[in-house]
Amino acid sequence: MLIIVIGITSCGPKITSNFTNPLPKLSIDENVALLDIEHNIPENVVKVGDLRFQDSMLATDCSFNSLMNKARIEARKNGANIVKVIEKKKPDLWSTCYRLKIELYKYDGDVSSLPQYTLKID
Amino acid sequence: MKTIIKATVLSSVILLSSCATIISGSRQTIEITSEPSTAQVFINEVQVGQTPLQKTLKRNQEYQLTLKLDGYKTYETKLKKKFNAWYIGNILLGGFVGLIIDPITGAMYQLKPEQIDGNLKSGTTYKTEDGNVFIKITMEIDPTMEKVGQLEKL
Repeated sequence: MLIIVIGITSCGPKITSNFTNPLPKLSIDENVALLDIEHNIPENVVKVGDLRFQDSMLATDCSFNSLMNKARIEARKNGANIVKVIEKKKPDLWSTCYRLKIELYKYDGDVSSLPQYTLKID
Repeated sequence: MKTIIKATVLSSVILLSSCATIISGSRQTIEITSEPSTAQVFINEVQVGQTPLQKTLKRNQEYQLTLKLDGYKTYETKLKKKFNAWYIGNILLGGFVGLIIDPITGAMYQLKPEQIDGNLKSGTTYKTEDGNVFIKITMEIDPTMEKVGQLEKL
């Protein structure tokens, strides 16, 4: 029972990251664009790294909005201003979590002008 | 009849033993005020209004809270998940179901402003009442801003 309780209470998703080209971190005042599957990456971007969000078996804080917010925090820490979802699995019979593969990019243009996902508060 | 009573008692024990979920719910009301008021409030970078503001948030998530007001430094903190003491009720009442349910619903947590080394971010005070959190933020003047004038009502 104790093991189950400890397992459930450590309820974050499993995050795997690989930063191939980390850049100086961005401030909170610098915009980060969240691009969903249907949004296109602009030209002339530099790839900063990859993120992968998986279900940690007992994760509960793993809605799409929550994961995208976590991805944005990681992006800022590593100097990326574009979060691009390249693979998205919705909650299903096997998992109650969204599972995402994400690429992070640095774009020198104005990211706020890009068509993008608008984050919501769950 | 005895069977019905037994079944009722048993199901009550099982159902009512998710203490924190029953008492606190899966969401928590956060009230944010600032000095001066009318600061723009952002939660996870989503603009949600101006102070004073009341918002109901899920207990099983952590949030970034940002306040912006012209002439003042941008204020940033996190709302962190802290242990909700009602969860202990599951152990006291022997409600094993509650030990599982409360973490899933998030009711075993209570959102509170982040503390670093036991200290709140400068300018922050808070109190909890009936499970709700009231946060007061005193905005710090931005020394790089220079007052050039003032508009007055005619």
